[in-house]
Amino acid sequence: MNGLSSVINLLAYVAATIFVLGFLNKVVLYFKTPSPLKIATTPAPTNSVGVVLRLVPEVLFFRSLLRGGTAEKILWVGGWFFHVSFLLIILRHLRMFVYPVPGWIMSFQQIGIWAGLIFPIALLILIVRRFTNDRLAVISLFQDYFVLLLIIAIGLTGLLLKYFVRTNLVDVKSFILGLFSVSPAQVPASPLFLIHFSLVLILLVYFPFSKLMHAWGVLISPARAQADNPREVRNVAPWAQ
Amino acid sequence: MAKIEAPELTGKIITPKVKTGASKDLKVFLAKPELMTKVSFPSEKPADWKEKFIENFGVILNKYKSVRVFLDICVRCGACTDKCHFYLGTGDPRNMPVYRQELMRTVYRKYFTTGGKLFGSLGAAQEITDELLDEWMTYFYQCSECRRCSVFCPYGIDTAEITMAARELLDSIGMGSKYNLEIVNKAETLGNNLGMPGPAIRNTLDFVEEDIKEKSNVDVKLPMDVEGADILFVTPSADFFASPHIESLAGYAKVFHQAGASWTMSSYASEGGNFGMFIGNYNHMKAINARIWKAARELKVKRVIVGECGHAWRVLYAFSNSLNGPFDFLDSRYRVPQHICEYTLDLIKRGALKFDKTANDQFSVTYHDSCNVARATRMGETPGDQFTIPREIIRTVCNKFVDMDADTIGDRTFCCGGGGGTLTDELIDIRVKGAMPRMQALKRVKDSHNVNFFALICAICKAQFTKVFPYYGIDMEEVGGVHQLVSNAIILGAKEGI
Amino acid sequence: MPNLEVEGKSYEVDEEGYLMDWQNWNEAIAAAMAKQDGLELSQSHWEVIKFLREYFEKYQIAPMIKILTKEIGKVLGPEKGNTKYLYELYPAGPAKQACRYAGLPKPTGCV
Ligand code: HEM
Ligand code: SF4
Ligand code: SF4
Ligand code: SF4
Repeated sequence: MNGLSSVINLLAYVAATIFVLGFLNKVVLYFKTPSPLKIATTPAPTNSVGVVLRLVPEVLFFRSLLRGGTAEKILWVGGWFFHVSFLLIILRHLRMFVYPVPGWIMSFQQIGIWAGLIFPIALLILIVRRFTNDRLAVISLFQDYFVLLLIIAIGLTGLLLKYFVRTNLVDVKSFILGLFSVSPAQVPASPLFLIHFSLVLILLVYFPFSKLMHAWGVLISPARAQADNPREVRNVAPWAQ
Repeated sequence: MAKIEAPELTGKIITPKVKTGASKDLKVFLAKPELMTKVSFPSEKPADWKEKFIENFGVILNKYKSVRVFLDICVRCGACTDKCHFYLGTGDPRNMPVYRQELMRTVYRKYFTTGGKLFGSLGAAQEITDELLDEWMTYFYQCSECRRCSVFCPYGIDTAEITMAARELLDSIGMGSKYNLEIVNKAETLGNNLGMPGPAIRNTLDFVEEDIKEKSNVDVKLPMDVEGADILFVTPSADFFASPHIESLAGYAKVFHQAGASWTMSSYASEGGNFGMFIGNYNHMKAINARIWKAARELKVKRVIVGECGHAWRVLYAFSNSLNGPFDFLDSRYRVPQHICEYTLDLIKRGALKFDKTANDQFSVTYHDSCNVARATRMGETPGDQFTIPREIIRTVCNKFVDMDADTIGDRTFCCGGGGGTLTDELIDIRVKGAMPRMQALKRVKDSHNVNFFALICAICKAQFTKVFPYYGIDMEEVGGVHQLVSNAIILGAKEGI
Repeated sequence: MPNLEVEGKSYEVDEEGYLMDWQNWNEAIAAAMAKQDGLELSQSHWEVIKFLREYFEKYQIAPMIKILTKEIGKVLGPEKGNTKYLYELYPAGPAKQACRYAGLPKPTGCV
């Protein structure tokens, strides 16, 4: 194995570790921080089954976003197609992570290809709206553009790999399987692949320290994930006892 | 003081273009050192305020999941930007909820996040400075904690939580709002926000009794401090003092009278409202709230009912049980506490109250969902009953009722523009502007249905609208409580079983 | 703390011009405050001020507005016992403007 391969393999482990530990750290931190008062935004469900039913359309369809005006409708289209295609692309990538490839993963191959094409378009909508709408232009920060550009770069290098600068998929797969089985292998001899791969590592490292934690936050946001039953159930934080 | 121009009434709510700094000069009066001390905050900014500030910030982050999670997860999608009445009324970008939060988030990044520590201003992290504190003092008192932003946020991020935390932090380094802290102090020492002593309340109650007697020749009593009564009734002290609030007080009394209920008010717990909530201070909120439960124990009542007040209902409905529960000394057959609208509608459904609807025929009525009731509480059994119960009461006592546009009522209701501790004269400019969306929605039903009675169940809303209506060329007497309409229409006298 | 100068004497007032100590009041103060607002105090204005002070002395708070209107109706005649008339006298609101002239603290709360 050459030097470059060692470095990339090492970096991959470092990034994955930061991602997993960073994410778990936030999950634990959020879990440990109490909610001294009931603050569900009402009307809210009165029990935990209801809370799950409230969250499902929020996660799957960004329901609250849909209640907004035109700006939110545009955002919804960009945002929803971005997230769904992102998910489908990940599912499509799974075929390179396991051997043999199970049938259910294979069933995502075709739709995953379409998702790859929709992905940059959706991201473009998300970027353009940030500087064309005067209110968004004010609130947008460097890091908002940074993640969007990072992810679009991942998408575009991916598309290049698929349609223009084909890499040897057998090499890629042996490299990835090597990573997963902790028996590091040679990286594929493709600079473009290395760029694509490095960008993903950056995204992994960035994730737990950024607003991307909304992926977890949406599930535990006190305004949405609390049951509206304060008259029936007494809720007291340890510090408030 | 510059003359205040109310926005033109067109019936349309138009999102303004960003006007940086449009409301930067609208500030609350600072509390004087003596006042700060009275409510156990530092009398002024200490020399080491920065360390204190950061330390206290850390404490809040560990105490409130809402603050911690909300500060982390906002994606700056902008969905909330045009949902705040104060932005719609002023165009000041700091009144966009996410940009209001940014005042806190930028400091949070600096001291509490890896990115902020590593990258500083590139990561939009800022040190806390006197100038920034000044902006906090301005814009965290231009938020009415109405939660409308939370409704449209994909993660439910509630700027009210951030505002409360910010005010708590400001107080903790000696920077308080005179209006809010004066009221907290009066509620804790004298028992109500107005600082009304017991005899003064009694005098008002006598007046209302006489007034009812003169008009209807029926002896309706407004009892106070009666030990052994079944019901302790708690209402905002404004109901003992202001117009049109007082009309609803007569309404409650008539309902209790017709129900043959044994009820009492308390001179010790003569306040439903709780400004401890507005300043985000758990201990003050708890202390003010505790008076009610102490009075309930001492008067040996079986149940507690709450009058028309938005944030009072929030604290009593949603927070009481945490603050001062459990309430197992009360009769468990009744919800603790109960809203007067729940009580009245229940009586109506059981046929215990009779009405002469024509008594309200001069009114064409619409109903304003007060935001604390709408988005922070419930009435009845089913989510959303907080919208249907007051409307059902109105329909029972009036012939003409119409709702405003659907996207301005229910959980999308617009705040009156004076809630959350902003109902103070020095903020009148922003209050007039903040009322704009609500006024436009009202204008539409005025045009289409000649609405001339604006019914609501919140003491602050009542005070705010009576003050603000004239700026928009509307008669202040068009504002009134739901129980004012009840009071007009209820037939006193012979009871027909309950 | 700002001050109000009346007849060579100085009185402490708050940011909005309310007298800090209601017991320091005298009629010249009321007249001076009115003059600043471009108002001439008539007999009717004085009746309001007088009643406010009497009530405050007894109850440590200004009267509820309907109590005030009723009293004014009794003294000045029933056609004047209404809120509209009070607002004619005190355009900025009887509770606030009249209280200020009467040297009483501003009633604050949800009002
Ligand atoms: C439970 C899962 C998730 C939900 C419900 C969710 C929901 C949302 C919503 C509603 C938005 C705002 C709309 C938008 O700006 O597009 C958003 C933005 C965003 N999400 Fe997610 N998300 C989830 C997971 C993820 C994950 C795993 C990523 C990882 C890359 C991600 C990346 C982003 C980014 C980059 C934005 C910002 C888009 C922009 O700046 O305009 N999300 N998400
Ligand atoms: S709607 Fe929520 S996530 Fe979007 S900018 Fe506003 S607070 Fe942030
Ligand atoms: S809570 Fe209400 S006032 Fe405050 S930012 Fe949100 S919408 Fe505006
Ligand atoms: S005053 Fe009324 S409308 Fe305004 S914040 Fe409170 S409950 Fe809401």
